[in-house]
Amino acid sequence: MMRLGTAVPSLIRPPGVCVPASRIDDGSVAAVELKGIVKRFPGVIANDDVNLTVAPGTVHALVGENGAGKSTLMKILYGMQHPDEGTITIGGERVEFKSPTDAIRHGIGMVHQHFMLADNLTVLENVILGYEPTRFGVIDFDGARRRIEELTELYGLPVEPDVRVERLGVGDRQRVEILKVLFRGATTLILDEPTAVLVPQEVDELFDNLSDLKSQGITILFISHKLDEVLTVADDITVMRAGTTVAARKPADVTSHQLAELMVGSELPTPETRESTVTDQVCLELSGITVCREDGRPDVDDVSIEIHQGEIVGIAGVEGNGQTQLIAAIMGTTTTRSGSISLDGDDITHWPTRRRREAGLGYVPEDRHRHGLLLDAPLWENQILGHQTQEPNARGPWIDRRAARARTEELVEQFDVRTPTIDVMAGALSGGNQQKLIIGRELMAGPVAMIAAHPTRGVDVGAQAAIWDQLRDARHDGLATLLISADLEELIGLSDTLLVIYKGRIVARLDPAATSPEELGSHMTGAAAAGGAG
Amino acid sequence: MKKNWKLQAAAPILALVGAAVIAGIILAATGNDPGDVLQVIVDDGFETRRVVDTLNRAAPYYIAGVAVAIGFKMTLFNIGVEGQYRLAALVAAWAGASVNLPAPLHVLFILMVAVITGAAWAAIPGLLRATRGVHEVISSIMLNSIALGLGAFLLHRWFRAPAGEYPGAVGTEVLPTPGRLPLLNGLVEKLGVDLPPGTRLQSYIFIALIIGVAYHLVISRTRFGFDLRASGSNPEAAEASGVDPKRMVVVTMVLSGAVAGLIGLNNVMSNVGDQARYTDVSVVGGLGFTGIAIALLGRNHPVGIALGALLWAFMDALQTPLSSAQLPKQITAILQGVAVLSVVIAYEVVRRIEQRQQASSLRRDSEPPPASEVAPA
Repeated sequence: MMRLGTAVPSLIRPPGVCVPASRIDDGSVAAVELKGIVKRFPGVIANDDVNLTVAPGTVHALVGENGAGKSTLMKILYGMQHPDEGTITIGGERVEFKSPTDAIRHGIGMVHQHFMLADNLTVLENVILGYEPTRFGVIDFDGARRRIEELTELYGLPVEPDVRVERLGVGDRQRVEILKVLFRGATTLILDEPTAVLVPQEVDELFDNLSDLKSQGITILFISHKLDEVLTVADDITVMRAGTTVAARKPADVTSHQLAELMVGSELPTPETRESTVTDQVCLELSGITVCREDGRPDVDDVSIEIHQGEIVGIAGVEGNGQTQLIAAIMGTTTTRSGSISLDGDDITHWPTRRRREAGLGYVPEDRHRHGLLLDAPLWENQILGHQTQEPNARGPWIDRRAARARTEELVEQFDVRTPTIDVMAGALSGGNQQKLIIGRELMAGPVAMIAAHPTRGVDVGAQAAIWDQLRDARHDGLATLLISADLEELIGLSDTLLVIYKGRIVARLDPAATSPEELGSHMTGAAAAGGAG
Repeated sequence: MKKNWKLQAAAPILALVGAAVIAGIILAATGNDPGDVLQVIVDDGFETRRVVDTLNRAAPYYIAGVAVAIGFKMTLFNIGVEGQYRLAALVAAWAGASVNLPAPLHVLFILMVAVITGAAWAAIPGLLRATRGVHEVISSIMLNSIALGLGAFLLHRWFRAPAGEYPGAVGTEVLPTPGRLPLLNGLVEKLGVDLPPGTRLQSYIFIALIIGVAYHLVISRTRFGFDLRASGSNPEAAEASGVDPKRMVVVTMVLSGAVAGLIGLNNVMSNVGDQARYTDVSVVGGLGFTGIAIALLGRNHPVGIALGALLWAFMDALQTPLSSAQLPKQITAILQGVAVLSVVIAYEVVRRIEQRQQASSLRRDSEPPPASEVAPA
């Protein structure tokens, strides 16, 4: 794909956006200015005196914990909600949005976290869907194609207009979403947690795209709670906490630790594990585990791991290096080519999943919605899931509803799951509370060994600290934990032993106390194993 | 939080009122007086004769609804109930006429043959789905045709009674008396209800009742039922929890087919001399498809399915009095169809309202998290 950065941006700007009014530091007109925004829902103030000024042609990051009011604010800016108080000014013009259509008319576009694309249509068809340009009453595909080619060249967004969306990867889909918004004439893009679904390489590509967009005068509002990314990509950062904007910083003047403290409002907990509780007794042992794809290539290649009672073994690795298949092999949801697994002295290599669960194998899945919860079932039934044959949930062939409910009440209390009752559907809880429910469910079953895959992914800082505490307590009580995570600080802080997986093989065994995140990072990319920087 | 029962009750009532209004409009538009139809329903619909007729008709509908609902509970669409019950009724009728056993054993024997035949026929799409990934809708629709053809072949080649032995359609031999289900007329009359002459209350309704209770217990009270519902709700999470997904598909299809096997037996096992046999008249077609509508009407709930089956049967039973009053009996079919659509729509509306209520009550309870609580020092 060619990149021509020299075309005229005004071609695609809708007219009448640039009316000078309120000015910011360097004298330019703010692309977006929110002043004193208040939004109340019954019983709760979602936004309280929010002030946000976004300079044109910059990437402005909005950070905050889950529930800090970021989403509400963006919905207000995109016309999906109406503020009770306060003003919105776009390019100097005071506006009131009745619907997203009004927002789009003023050049505001939103790229949602979950893509809204029709798989069986082409990129071109998706881009024009709902905004079809017509000539003589029929869709003007040629005009649309020219327009899309213009946009892709101008903003360096390489997409093929005639490929079906179902054949695109996540990164490409995201570019199509961005293109869709630009096609509607957006000059300010709201990106809602755009990196949540991307792998690291795709994140880099996205950031390249964002800087191209910026250089062409597009303004970007970037919502995230991944602070390192925010520091990389943003020109300005606004922090929200408990419904209000609490700080505005330049990335040069702040560290991710300081940002996190601003988000939480007090000093941060660290994932450090103190004195060692590792014993001699091996609880979970993998030896020579190999898992192959259908074409015979190995996803997991001759992996041997020993986890002792009271030990947390951390596995670091770039996603897609065999972690998922390794977990599946331990859980018994995939077949292994060779090798053996033993749990608490029993050879479980050929046991079905249920028997492994009953023998005391706990599981915190990497994707809690897909593998960990029944979203349309109440919390107490979710507490049963994975333990439906075990005490106290089962009595003979029957489910013991009363005991299961009592256990759930206990869990909610003990693990601080914030919910009005245990009859709430699991899907209605926030991510952090869902995760606390899963961790609680697994730990209360008294496991011998547990797989914890990305235990704090996508949860807010408060829940993260609580989960770390629980994992540490369980370790102290003798649990053998296999921790798989992408959060290097978490890995280094919690693990007693640190292994690095690369292309399905364990390539390094490190002492977390003597390992820096940088060192770990170089092992993860295979650079250290190759014996040089490559 | 507890389910809002007022909201739950509002949905079916709204749906029925909506269906009645639409039917009224259609009647008026076709030059009939909706009042006349209502008159017939009120005057005639609740006569003892009609109530007995409704109950007898509702029982097979109920069993069909449960058979379909078992599949629905784990998002399996057993559209093959039709073929399963017709084949099962034929084989059971033939087997029942070929043996001589004491009364309760003979009845049990016939029921078992029906259950096993239905289960075996349903196992085919189950196994195809589990081992080859063939979608059960495709395979079971095709198996419906095969079941009809196979049934006709079996009947004409081996199972049919000698020509001329019984009046009427081609069919199997008549069941011996010990293999027939007794009538409940005597029991009802002991309870002080006088049945008009010629009405027969079949004890087959007890089979429906037992199926209903068993369905409820298995689905919502057992480990197996939990596994089944979990697989329907989130197959991947169910697998991680220890459910073998392939086995679950087969077992669910087999269970659904086993229940389906019982659908067509009400007339085959009736206590009326020449009728206690398999013919194309005594085992009517289409019950399997009606079962889909009834499972939808009843939202897969044991009581809901019962209400749906009763409503459907009531509409059927009204056809005779409507005809004799020179009114279009087709209005009952329209009402049945409109009722299914209105129920589906009404429940979806209620579901969304509930979801919104739940979400807003959660917001009240937990958002925004006070910063002091969120951060342990």
